[in-house]
Amino acid sequence: MDVVMRAGAGAAGGAAGIGPAGGGGAPGHATGRATAPRRPRVGVVKFASCDGCQLTILDVEDHLLEIAERFEIVEFAEATSRRSSGPFDVLLVEGSIATPEQVVEIARLRAEAKLLVTIGACATAGGIQALRTAAEHEAFRAAVYPVPAYVDSLATARPVSEFVHVDAELRGCPISPEQLLELLISLATGRRPQLPDQAVCLECKRRGIPCVVVARGLPCLGPVTRTGCGAICPAFGRGCYGCFGPREGANTSGYADALVSGAAAGDPNGIGGPGRDPVDVGRLFAGFNGATAPMRSVTDALGGRPIQPLRPTLASPPETLPEGPPRWGAPPEPPAPSTTEDPDGPRR
Amino acid sequence: MVIASPGELATTAPRFLPRDRFDELIAALGEGGRRVVGPTIADGAIVFADLGSAADLPGGWTLQTSPGRARLERLPEGPGEARTFQYTVSGEGIKRFTFPSRVDALSMETADDGTVRVRVEAPADPAPLAIVGARACDLAALAVHDRVLVGGPAVDPDYAARRRDLLIVAVECALASSTCFCASMGTGPEVTTGADLVLNELDDGFVIRAATPAGERVLTTVDDLRPATGDQAEAGAAQTAAARAAMGTAAIPANPRDLLLANLDHPRWDVVAERCIACANCTLACPTCFCTGLEVHSGFDAAASSATRAWDSCFTEGFAQIAGGSFRPRHRDRYRQWLTHKFATWWDQFGTSGCIGCGRCIAWCPVGIDVREELNEIAAAPAAAPPTTALVAPALPQIVAGLDGAPDPLAFSPATVVAVTPETADTTTLRLETADPRILAGTPGQFVMVGVPAFAIPPISISRFQPDGIELTIRAAGAATSFLTRLRKGATLGLRGPLGRGWPVEDARGRDVVIVGGGIGLAPLRPVIDAVLRERDRYEDVRIYLGARTPRDRLFVEEIDALAARDDVLVRVTVDRAGPEWLGRVGIVTQLFKTVRGTGADATAFICGPERMMSATADVLGDLGVPREHMWLTLERHMECGVGLCGHCQLGTRFVCRDGPVFSLAELGDDLRREGL
Repeated sequence: MDVVMRAGAGAAGGAAGIGPAGGGGAPGHATGRATAPRRPRVGVVKFASCDGCQLTILDVEDHLLEIAERFEIVEFAEATSRRSSGPFDVLLVEGSIATPEQVVEIARLRAEAKLLVTIGACATAGGIQALRTAAEHEAFRAAVYPVPAYVDSLATARPVSEFVHVDAELRGCPISPEQLLELLISLATGRRPQLPDQAVCLECKRRGIPCVVVARGLPCLGPVTRTGCGAICPAFGRGCYGCFGPREGANTSGYADALVSGAAAGDPNGIGGPGRDPVDVGRLFAGFNGATAPMRSVTDALGGRPIQPLRPTLASPPETLPEGPPRWGAPPEPPAPSTTEDPDGPRR
Repeated sequence: MVIASPGELATTAPRFLPRDRFDELIAALGEGGRRVVGPTIADGAIVFADLGSAADLPGGWTLQTSPGRARLERLPEGPGEARTFQYTVSGEGIKRFTFPSRVDALSMETADDGTVRVRVEAPADPAPLAIVGARACDLAALAVHDRVLVGGPAVDPDYAARRRDLLIVAVECALASSTCFCASMGTGPEVTTGADLVLNELDDGFVIRAATPAGERVLTTVDDLRPATGDQAEAGAAQTAAARAAMGTAAIPANPRDLLLANLDHPRWDVVAERCIACANCTLACPTCFCTGLEVHSGFDAAASSATRAWDSCFTEGFAQIAGGSFRPRHRDRYRQWLTHKFATWWDQFGTSGCIGCGRCIAWCPVGIDVREELNEIAAAPAAAPPTTALVAPALPQIVAGLDGAPDPLAFSPATVVAVTPETADTTTLRLETADPRILAGTPGQFVMVGVPAFAIPPISISRFQPDGIELTIRAAGAATSFLTRLRKGATLGLRGPLGRGWPVEDARGRDVVIVGGGIGLAPLRPVIDAVLRERDRYEDVRIYLGARTPRDRLFVEEIDALAARDDVLVRVTVDRAGPEWLGRVGIVTQLFKTVRGTGADATAFICGPERMMSATADVLGDLGVPREHMWLTLERHMECGVGLCGHCQLGTRFVCRDGPVFSLAELGDDLRREGL
């Protein structure tokens, strides 16, 4: 919880200032609450992101009216043309900071917001685009854009918390609608949001989902990933991608060792097999939250940074790429280019 | 209730059920609307689920288990290729049916008139259930749960309701996996207790015997079953004997309890912590683990909220969390808690081993940690001398069968705030009126669980007993306690208690009394002061030493000043830091008592404050000669149930909520200072 709630007193402390109930009182409680409370002003803004988390806000359909009753949505580009530059009682921030303009803008918004909550893996941990942090930024730009000079992006994509104080985080790629609702309800009622910092494994076991590592030999980030998704991926027979980022005390090196050695986990070759390719394991940890320290330490140690070489595109034929292989930090031994590599993730 | 053990197997003649007639057994079990569950193949594993017919059973499959692996495989071609139970343990056993992963626990409502009601959800009234395919280890685990959940002073009503009408068809294992060690734990592979019917599977069918009258009734409804031949019965017994032989009986050290308790600081804990990913799979796959946590839910309309009780695990940081942090921050602490609870302190708490040898924690550990190996590594190079005594189960009272007539320690009663006294910037005393005779009969040092809608339910020490209620002095440390400190006169809330073992004030009769309080720690000591002063002449010298962070953080200032004015009580107050307006002492509380009267041997001390302060105080008082068995202190731990059922507050062999929170220094021993315990 302390990890999630960055404000010293937790969300409740912040909520006490913004909640409609003044001191955060349950109805009927004699807590001396103010009459006719002003609805807290809520803004939703985005930086480098896919808008999926904003769409999740719209996905809590059954509760949108309740939310609108209790909060005044003053800025939410995905949902309304109404705009506001602040001030905000609560500001939900999607996306990572990836351009020079965004560095300025997030500082301005922070000054306008009483409570700043990052929503999703991009805002909280850098997101998938943070993979470029350890890669060759110029090569990426050249590969994607016909005239890279038009694109003014930072060499890194960083979480909001590296630039301004963040009061609370909602993890996930995208965030969970239930957790979003839990946060809003907590803000409205003054209680502490229940955003448990536990491994996904607990949810698998509660749901009765047989462990995909043990039963199927699939690579799964569940043991080192925070719960919150309800164990969606294992429920459909595949390994966890780590959307919700590292859980507290994630022993990623211990887990990676077991994946590589084949001593136990996820050996794709069956009992007694030789274990996994270390680069595959490194790549497993290089996902939405791959820029967080516990995940990145594994990728740094084992290799598996972004696909290499960059795939040629129509816009950027191979000859426009810089000479020589791109530099990806310092993986031990970059493997030979392989046409069978699956860019979506490690092979089963 | 059929909670009580069904006892020894009755000896009725075993019969033979041909393989193609298994459906008739399922039909017989399902008579009268009984739900029938058994092992099925699902999601690449063997999972207990509803059985429509014998075709749902894992016929033709086996499960290969080894550390970190449990893979389904086809049975090899041959005479046994169609066998149904030719594997050892399923992924999660039968625990879910008697102890579901989530159950409704509480509803908390604010009525229109503002009255708060906290209601314990009625136990489930499940359809009668038949479980097919339980193994000896599953039944041993069930017996352990009986001991834990209905065998102690507090009964889990939901478990009792689900356990009440259970019909079990057990299977004696025909093989052993590399992860199995039931023969070492004395729990299998033979089924000796807990089943109604017992199966031994042969290539062409099943030797089936009834172990209870209920089982016999089922058998008689299956038409035309011939008695098993001597050869069939022998063949069944022989393969179980072979399974036993394959496992051996010395998989773990002979007396793991004494071994582990003597080696709480063994270097092996650090070694295993490098591998352990604290994912909690071992605890959740374990059929005896019983720890749960409350999840509170509310909508925007916080007037109505509810709490769910969900499986929890000592491998999470939140499990041992209090406002100041987690008592088990490191994986080393959590692994040690798991292993020592399972193999050692369980004996002290419940008179049995917590491990029944099913090996699920080994197979379902994603990194393949093997508890047998960990125990044996410690036994091979113990840091403390290995014990030579055999492990003897302590004598325990008979399992209390039934809930009738027993007061329900889980029930809440209403209370009304009749006075609010702000003490400091963050601490408030609520005077509560209640008619609950149990609460009014509480003793100093006991605590109550305080429920209001939408919030977690914190344990709060009683800071004074009144003829018509109690006082609670609450520091705003989290959301729930913050809310409580903001309540106004007239508010209502739910109280559950009084809970725990309080201060043994009578221990101080005829002796000198030393009371040492730090910060909010004065609150639980206040009823001790009240009790001592009420009968002042029964005690000798009385001294009270109090510490606070700053002068503004002192509690009950007027009361303490009045006490200080008395000539039959010595009161000394100090603060950690203060401005020039403070004319009193500055320093830590242990600097206050350079002397006690006489040798100290005649003194009884009551100490409450942060654990570090209590431990320093105990050191100083010990040096002054106060005996360890007369030094009493009260511990703070994460508590949710308050009656020893949820598991959060464990400290070594103790449940702090039930066995404490007040302990003597002699009782606590080294555990007071042991990090991560």
